[in-house]
Amino acid sequence: MSDVKEQHREYKTDEDFDEDFFKNIERKSNIWKCIQCGTCTASCESGRWTALKTRSIVRKVVLGDVSVLDDPDIWLCTTCYQCYERCPRDVRPTDVIMELRNYATKRGNISPNHRAVVGFLKTTGHAVPINDEVKKRRVELGLEELPPTLYKFKQEGDDNDLKNFEKYLFALPPIKEEEDKE
Amino acid sequence: MVKEKTFAFFLGCLMPNRYPAIEKATKFVMEKLGYELLDMKKAGCCPAPGVFRSFNKVDWMVAAARNLCIAEQLDTDILTVCNGCFGTLQEVNKHLKENEDHRIMVNEKLKLIGDYEFKGTINVRHIAEVLGYEIGPWGIEDIIVRKVNARAAVHYGCHFLKPTRIREIESSENPTIVEEYLEALGVESVRFKEQLTCCGAGGGVKAYSGDASMTIFGEKMKNIDEVKPDFILDICPFCHLQFETGQDYLNKNKDCNYNYPVIHISQLTAYCMGMDQEFVGLQYQLMGKNYIFGEREMKKEEEVI
Repeated sequence: MSDVKEQHREYKTDEDFDEDFFKNIERKSNIWKCIQCGTCTASCESGRWTALKTRSIVRKVVLGDVSVLDDPDIWLCTTCYQCYERCPRDVRPTDVIMELRNYATKRGNISPNHRAVVGFLKTTGHAVPINDEVKKRRVELGLEELPPTLYKFKQEGDDNDLKNFEKYLFALPPIKEEEDKE
Repeated sequence: MVKEKTFAFFLGCLMPNRYPAIEKATKFVMEKLGYELLDMKKAGCCPAPGVFRSFNKVDWMVAAARNLCIAEQLDTDILTVCNGCFGTLQEVNKHLKENEDHRIMVNEKLKLIGDYEFKGTINVRHIAEVLGYEIGPWGIEDIIVRKVNARAAVHYGCHFLKPTRIREIESSENPTIVEEYLEALGVESVRFKEQLTCCGAGGGVKAYSGDASMTIFGEKMKNIDEVKPDFILDICPFCHLQFETGQDYLNKNKDCNYNYPVIHISQLTAYCMGMDQEFVGLQYQLMGKNYIFGEREMKKEEEVI
């Protein structure tokens, strides 16, 4: 644990240490209760195959280590809630990871694929928009060609709600310029 | 009081836009059961609990509340057939009913989108829970016209039962609701290793890292393949997509040779209620296109004879 303490000190003096970040996450979850037992990591299906280590992510949050926001591993959680169910201290790690992703998004850490999904929602109202082949299948099955969702009303000229989605919801920060990584 | 025997049918994205046969089957099933399904005009994405909640939790609640408001205006509970839609709508509905601060905040932002106000008058239901508990294996026996003699690998997915403190349906470690229901349809549920783990699609992982998603899924398929079921039964179109495209991916890239039909609980139920196999829609799917449900006579008819 000694190196963890050392890191702690380091982060406290780091100008990057973000007190708001820490307080906010603290308010929205139970991270202080964490005893680092590792039940979360042991239960993690994604972590079995990827570098995702839920326990150390929670630890970094407790220490106020904002580098966790740039950690790509937080995006490997499938939100299966197995850790959430089994955590003996009710830390709710899935919720912690969700909060971290919200912060990471504000810093512009969003994958291009995720940006595309947000784009689909804003232009069609769906995360997965319809295509011509499915329209044909729908007709063959005796369903309306277009389901009565936002997209259909957009085709009919009424897309106020969609325009407001675009305007008010899920505003993403601009794409980060490639930083020089040496 | 919400209307009885009526649901606002929440479509979501994947069912109407990728697997319309599930939509067809669900409408067929609910009609046979004597329910009226109302269209939710101008509904949108739920929005998905994995991706959109990750970007902005508040906006995620606002967009979900908009969908909930559409059903409130119809004065009916919502029916979903998707774990993701259920996850989002059930959770936001419950949260906004309980948390006044957030309700006020969300309603403020909702005004910007349109003429909506979240009141908290309805509930959100999942088809597996309606079939498994409300109709129940005891009730479905009287309505079905044929049984399917087959062995199924049941995949629950994650967000139907978890988090259990919010869903309040049943234990997530050893659920039996779907298995017991399937028994009434003649289907034997085979147990397989690590049955209750994630399919690997959720949480935005499928979009973020296809490799990670397929590694998780590959293990799932390996465990399913060990017990050689006739088909895979799911209760979520997103898991459905993962099982469909995932098997295809593994066949093409990982030297596998899977061809398990993937069937949603609505599709199977509709078939047992007499819907023609062509409307089950396997011909549109990637896997098990030629699978034909093994039919067998119902016990009740045998007794009459």
